[in-house]
Amino acid sequence: MTTAPNTADDSRAAQLLATFEREGHVRVRPAILQPAEPFLALSGEDIRRRMYLVTDLDGSELCLRPDLTIPAALDYLASDRAGKPAGFCYLGPVFRQNRRDGVGEFLQAGIESFGRDDKAAADAEMLALGIATTAHYGLAAPDIRMGDVGLFAALVAALGLPAAWKRRLTKDFNRKLLLVNDLDQLTLAGTNERPEYQGVLAALANSDPKGARALITDLLSIAGISTVGGRSVGEIADRFLEQAELGASAALPDESCAVIERFLAISGDPASAASELRCLADAAGLAMTPALDRFEERTRLFAARGIDTSRISFATAFGRGLDYYTGFVFELHDPERRATGQLVAGGRYDGLFARLGRTEPIPAVGLAAWIERLALLGGGR
Amino acid sequence: MSHQLVIAVPAKGRLMENAEKFFAGAGLALVKPRGAREYRGAVAGLPGVEIAFLSAQEIAQQLGAGGIHFGITGEDLVRETIPDADERVVLLAGLDFGAANVVVAVPQAWIDVRSMGDLDDVATAFRLKHDRRMRVATKYINLTRGFFAHHGIVDYHIVESAGATEGAPAAGTAELIVDITTTGTTLAANGLKVIEDGTMLRSRANLIAARGANWGAAERETARLVLDRIASFRRAAAFRELRTRFPGCDEKLLAAAREKFGVETPFGGPTSTGMLTLHCPPGEVHAVATFLREHGASSVVVARLEYVFARDNPLFEMLEQALPPVENRAP
Repeated sequence: MTTAPNTADDSRAAQLLATFEREGHVRVRPAILQPAEPFLALSGEDIRRRMYLVTDLDGSELCLRPDLTIPAALDYLASDRAGKPAGFCYLGPVFRQNRRDGVGEFLQAGIESFGRDDKAAADAEMLALGIATTAHYGLAAPDIRMGDVGLFAALVAALGLPAAWKRRLTKDFNRKLLLVNDLDQLTLAGTNERPEYQGVLAALANSDPKGARALITDLLSIAGISTVGGRSVGEIADRFLEQAELGASAALPDESCAVIERFLAISGDPASAASELRCLADAAGLAMTPALDRFEERTRLFAARGIDTSRISFATAFGRGLDYYTGFVFELHDPERRATGQLVAGGRYDGLFARLGRTEPIPAVGLAAWIERLALLGGGR
Repeated sequence: MSHQLVIAVPAKGRLMENAEKFFAGAGLALVKPRGAREYRGAVAGLPGVEIAFLSAQEIAQQLGAGGIHFGITGEDLVRETIPDADERVVLLAGLDFGAANVVVAVPQAWIDVRSMGDLDDVATAFRLKHDRRMRVATKYINLTRGFFAHHGIVDYHIVESAGATEGAPAAGTAELIVDITTTGTTLAANGLKVIEDGTMLRSRANLIAARGANWGAAERETARLVLDRIASFRRAAAFRELRTRFPGCDEKLLAAAREKFGVETPFGGPTSTGMLTLHCPPGEVHAVATFLREHGASSVVVARLEYVFARDNPLFEMLEQALPPVENRAP
């Protein structure tokens, strides 16, 4: 059994939190025992095998918190500050099963900034605080890896692809799959799998969409089917018709494939990447100007915070593998690799609150720091 | 400590009946010396064996933990219950009962969903539309997770279901299910259909050995005897015996019969008086009988076999290969 991390002894982590508090982030101490459902709903089944789950007497599933973002977000939602700008910071143990080295408990510090509409400024503050965190442990110039999930979303929107392709590409990108390696191998479950529907689908594809939808909905209603298994008859009809729109071809159109490959190959410092992206957008006739404007504004704000932006390794293909990230994402690493994995990581997750059941969107950006890894750096004080 | 070889047998239902019939067929009659409600038993005439009557689920757990030597249970439970099952147990022999498939089933109304590829797309569309993940009701959590990951599906969320899983979509507690089915009628009665490439596992009852059990020399020797009986019974079921007197038979003709029909000659070629014994797969009996008569046999007699004992013991060899060498204990 390993010794539990002891927060009381770690005065350096306490000092780190004090710097976060001086920046206006209120210290919160969410409960260690949390309802399991929000974590499973947000992170999917991947997280389940890594969570410590328990069941209480009335059968509800609880877990030892595997992170502090969701507990902090839930507490904020339940408070009267919900929807208003608010900054929080935390320090405490999180629990994830780890088959490799068996350590299931580790310390995480972090910041959550909710409700701020000046998103680029909030992003820049988060990256600056991330670098201040590694500097607090003696590493003033960490490797900065950065991506922007929003740029990929803007690309997919600008390509004008069928809805099924938009979903597929966004999903694969979010899961950190190496899209660029197998883009031409990607296929959708197309209509060629169902020859007996081919004629009907072809006929529907050429009819007016409203009428076709009404027909399918009526047919399902005649069969006595309303909402079954959470999907409404309308949703079923819509996707059935999307299949018709896709036609017999299940592969990604060649020209889109080529543009996505060029896009995903772009990397470098943010300034040169932005100009390459503008060239690509012009050449392919893609309306990506607003997304690129926001990108460049953010880069300027990084510089205004004293960050040397030429040291940022930006890559269009960089993501954090979680689908509630919606924009800027980053990780800070030790150039000398004294610790395995990222020291600090974070980004923008404007999709978080919708997934927690909030109807009006609330902007959210944050970071988390791995205290044991930072301690391996040895420096600072 | 005791050196009993512990064999776990399902404690109730069709699985128990079939397992008992299987052991009895192999000459291993299970007895409950202390009455029918007892959960411990023995094998008539074979000391050194203890029979444990457990639930099929418990058998899978005990196999994984090494608490028993052999067990009869479904492959579905083994794969679900034991992480890295192939490292912890050996599936020695598939049995001809307890057959069922673990399948992904969705509402029949989902006319746009046929394949796992469709389900992947629908899962993502569902999350985008409803801001939550589709729920999959099942008791096969690990199997489902592995199968969905294999198909690249991420936008789902498992709801544990202990029973009557097929009712979950209608009850509104899940969008789809993963469950076991034999004929599909229960699924159809609940308005569900099986996804075309959504069969995760074709399961049946298996004779399974636990690698982690206490395998001393005594347990191995008892296992060898038990597996010899089972192997001879299974070999007998795999063949019919054909006898004929056949003066014109030569090695060339036998080679042709082996090649063409898969027959075996347990006692070699014909005797000096021309008597020939062949073991033939049941499905080839008529073809072989015709073949033999065409080549000069005047009559062919076919009989069922009860046991076919051979010098080799393939089930025991399979077990030995999976076990570490016997520890040399100091006297």
